[in-house]
Amino acid sequence: MVAISITNLCKNYRETEVLKDLSLSIADGEFISFLGPSGCGKSTLLYCIAGLEQINNGSIRFNDQEISDLSPRERNIALVFQDYALYPHMYVRDNIAFPLRQQRVNEATVQRQVDWAAEVLGLEGLLDRLPSDLSGGQRQRVAVGRAIVRNPSVLLMDEPLSNLDASLRVKMRTEIRRLQRELKITVIFVTHDQEEAMVLSDRIAVMKDGVVQQFAPPMTVYKDPANLFVAGFIGSPQMNFLPASRVARAEDDNAILGIRPHDLQPANGREDGMLLTGELSLVEPAGPIHFLDVMVGDQLVKATCADPTGLPLGGRMTLHAPQDAVHRFDADSGVRANAAMKSEANTDLSISQAQIPKRSGP
Amino acid sequence: MSKVKPGMPKTLKAPANAPSISRRLTGGPPAFGYAAVAPTLLIVVAIAGLPLLYSLYLSFNSINPITKRWIFVGADNYTSILSGSEFWVSFARTAYFAVFTVAGTTIFGMIIALVLNERFIGRGLLRSVVLVPWAMAPVAVGVLWSFIYAGNFGFLNGLLHDLGMGSSATPWLGNGFRALNLVALTHVWNQTPLTALLLLSALQSIPGNLYRAAILDGAGPVRRFFSVTLPWLKSTLLFVMIIATINALMAFDILLIMTRGGPGTATTLLAWLGYLESFQFLRFGQGAATLYVLTITSLALAVLYFFVLGPTRSRRRVAAGPQAASYMRDMEAEWTASAAKRYTMATLPPFTPRRVLKAATTARLTNIILLATAVLIFLWSALPVAALVLMSLSPAADLIRTPPTIFPSAITLDNFTSVLTAEGGTSSAYARRVPLALTNSLVVGVVVSIINVALGTLAGYAFARYDRYRFFNVSLWALLLTRMIPALTLILPFFIIFRSIGLLDTRVALIIAYSSILLPLCTWMMKSTFEGVPESLDRAALIDGCTRTAMIWKVLRPVVRPGIIAALIFCFLVSWNEFLFALILTATPNSQTIPVIMSGFLIQAQFYEYGPLFATSVLSILPPVAIAFFFQRYLVQGALSGAVKG
Repeated sequence: MVAISITNLCKNYRETEVLKDLSLSIADGEFISFLGPSGCGKSTLLYCIAGLEQINNGSIRFNDQEISDLSPRERNIALVFQDYALYPHMYVRDNIAFPLRQQRVNEATVQRQVDWAAEVLGLEGLLDRLPSDLSGGQRQRVAVGRAIVRNPSVLLMDEPLSNLDASLRVKMRTEIRRLQRELKITVIFVTHDQEEAMVLSDRIAVMKDGVVQQFAPPMTVYKDPANLFVAGFIGSPQMNFLPASRVARAEDDNAILGIRPHDLQPANGREDGMLLTGELSLVEPAGPIHFLDVMVGDQLVKATCADPTGLPLGGRMTLHAPQDAVHRFDADSGVRANAAMKSEANTDLSISQAQIPKRSGP
Repeated sequence: MSKVKPGMPKTLKAPANAPSISRRLTGGPPAFGYAAVAPTLLIVVAIAGLPLLYSLYLSFNSINPITKRWIFVGADNYTSILSGSEFWVSFARTAYFAVFTVAGTTIFGMIIALVLNERFIGRGLLRSVVLVPWAMAPVAVGVLWSFIYAGNFGFLNGLLHDLGMGSSATPWLGNGFRALNLVALTHVWNQTPLTALLLLSALQSIPGNLYRAAILDGAGPVRRFFSVTLPWLKSTLLFVMIIATINALMAFDILLIMTRGGPGTATTLLAWLGYLESFQFLRFGQGAATLYVLTITSLALAVLYFFVLGPTRSRRRVAAGPQAASYMRDMEAEWTASAAKRYTMATLPPFTPRRVLKAATTARLTNIILLATAVLIFLWSALPVAALVLMSLSPAADLIRTPPTIFPSAITLDNFTSVLTAEGGTSSAYARRVPLALTNSLVVGVVVSIINVALGTLAGYAFARYDRYRFFNVSLWALLLTRMIPALTLILPFFIIFRSIGLLDTRVALIIAYSSILLPLCTWMMKSTFEGVPESLDRAALIDGCTRTAMIWKVLRPVVRPGIIAALIFCFLVSWNEFLFALILTATPNSQTIPVIMSGFLIQAQFYEYGPLFATSVLSILPPVAIAFFFQRYLVQGALSGAVKG
């Protein structure tokens, strides 16, 4: 169990820069997620930490010990693969025992430790089976068992849940979190599923194009996204982005405003925050809430409401967002200008009908 | 499609315009399926099944070659050969030969596959070069190696003289046991590429994460080989070993060229014994019986092969099925349920990394070993072929210098002109036949390839799509079984039948004979190809208004084109290299193919004709080598889906 610090890490494949001058510090016992779209370098970063990929520049330290020039075998790390990578010809018991046997642990300890791991993961009844006789969820647990059995310094997980069906995935992630708390182990979890990352992690590193966009606790990433990319990537449905020039009166304002659909609701007479008027084009029921598609000018805006009764399709309606739910981003750099936004809280952001180009009605 | 097909079992009286109802209820494959496989099955029954039965009948008779009287003698032929010591001695020799070659091809094949699976500069080239010994005709292989081992002027002795070790020069094939080993080694040289190919494709199917997991679990390269690679290759290894065993049992061409069973009977294997009985001593009955014993041994191995390979899909320790599935669900639910803790985490010894070399050092060391092995493999595959080319470019007199040397006194094309042009000034009857023989080989190869691939494509489609029906399943395996029949067993019936209908010494005879090998092979290859095409493509085409034939021609043909090309190339190569059928079924330049000419050349040649002989050999390996280099991908695909060239 270690703290990890990565400084100025660079990784290239031939001409392509996969990781660009990347720095991260992970505390001992933390649960960290690397989150990002495919090709963002999150798996590569994981493999660099594991030692499966050589880094071109920078350093990786475990508790102040430089490990980037060590072979994977010398780093005492465990990795759970997306496809589990269980040894197909070995029984579950031998799969779990394999790393211990490679460390030349005496056989009695190996058996005790395998029994322990099997109990922790509920695998007792499966120890004498081959991986091909297991279901997906069981294989996944065996893979976790093989990873925790030797008490690694850090447990790496490469999209371990993405091959499971939806309900099992939800169950497994709870169990993984419980296990991590119990073992007090440092975990790095790679995923492209934001919900998984939010639920599991102490902190999330949102990555894009080999650069960490934001490294913060889940709710910070959600509430205070560092830039346009993070704001758009986190949250479903996606955040609405509107050019400020359209919304505010200032024509030369080239900021972009972002409002989450969940913060944008029918105004019902409120006038304090931001108001948007448009034409309701679609209502989608989603259980507890309904999603509304509203055409504001020529732009489609997603909003939510609890009860859509009385909202006529094709009719005009006004949407409202509280002032502090409106995120403001620099249009050129994409960086969030949150402070500026808040200081302008008293500015009137409501817009008059006239400013919105009329859309030809049906 | 508007008529109820006659002869189909009807469980309901269907309206005349709704034939699909009866089809749906009986659940049978469409008549199209039967129509597609019918030509192939009929032809295979006619040219492989019937000759096989004929050969069986032959083995129960005693035939007087002069009076042509047949006397039914029951099992007498079998008892007489099985009670003779000659049979058992050659049986033991065959077993030794098989063990030697199976071990040799498997070990060398494994090394080559492991190297070719790594990344290094020149891997593409090496993959082509490695194929050459297997792509060239066994006759050419025999010619090449018999001269390498030859007594006075042989290449190996020349090399020894050049290296100053002339005293250890010896007629290599003169000693009986050594000759057997050298012939076996030559067979290994010829067959190893096939094993390497099959193993390489299995290696490529190993998920990379398995190795990554093993690395992280602390396993070194050797441990990884034994814990990940070997277990994964287990079924492929068994498969290649059985293929190698069958190929060893049928080994004939190389034997005939290199030693003709000698010295004495030191290299008389069963196949050669059967050949001698049938065509030298004209004891057809006993010859057929000997070859039948060989066939049965081969079929027994085939059965073993089916047992090993058939059930791999469902190899389960726990019975699968609904019960097992519900058990799994129970287990899934159980995880959170176990509350009472019985075990606690063991106190592990502190993690002490095993001493390993520095990552950079390991990488450099691995690279050096890898490249060194790659160079060795290159030399092993290419050097003998290079020697052949060198000898063909040397003045004929060079090959009989004393003391022998491998360095030519000049480079000349004389040998090629002498076999390719009428006024080449050669005195050998065989040399003059070379241009015609090349034409024969080409014509037979092209015709055989087109016929067999056309029929095989049609049948392969039906076998791929309807393999769940018993008729198709059973007949497909029956087709594959014909692969386990040594060609020698078929050749006697072919000879007798063709003689009686006057087809001997014609190209047609060769085309028929080759189809007996190639039609099942093509069908099998095309079936594997079609299995890779999603059935939804068929359905889309049918819904879009294609007839079955239009669907195959317009939609599937372009999709399976690489498979068709692979099958064509493969057929052409097999036909081009085939020797045994051609040797027995042809007699004059009208139909003799290039391997026959080479063997005749070798048997008749005077020492001063070695030059033209090597030129002929080089000409004969040109097409296979060109294919290995330019169509490597197709050749590999063909080899993998056919998996079984003799």
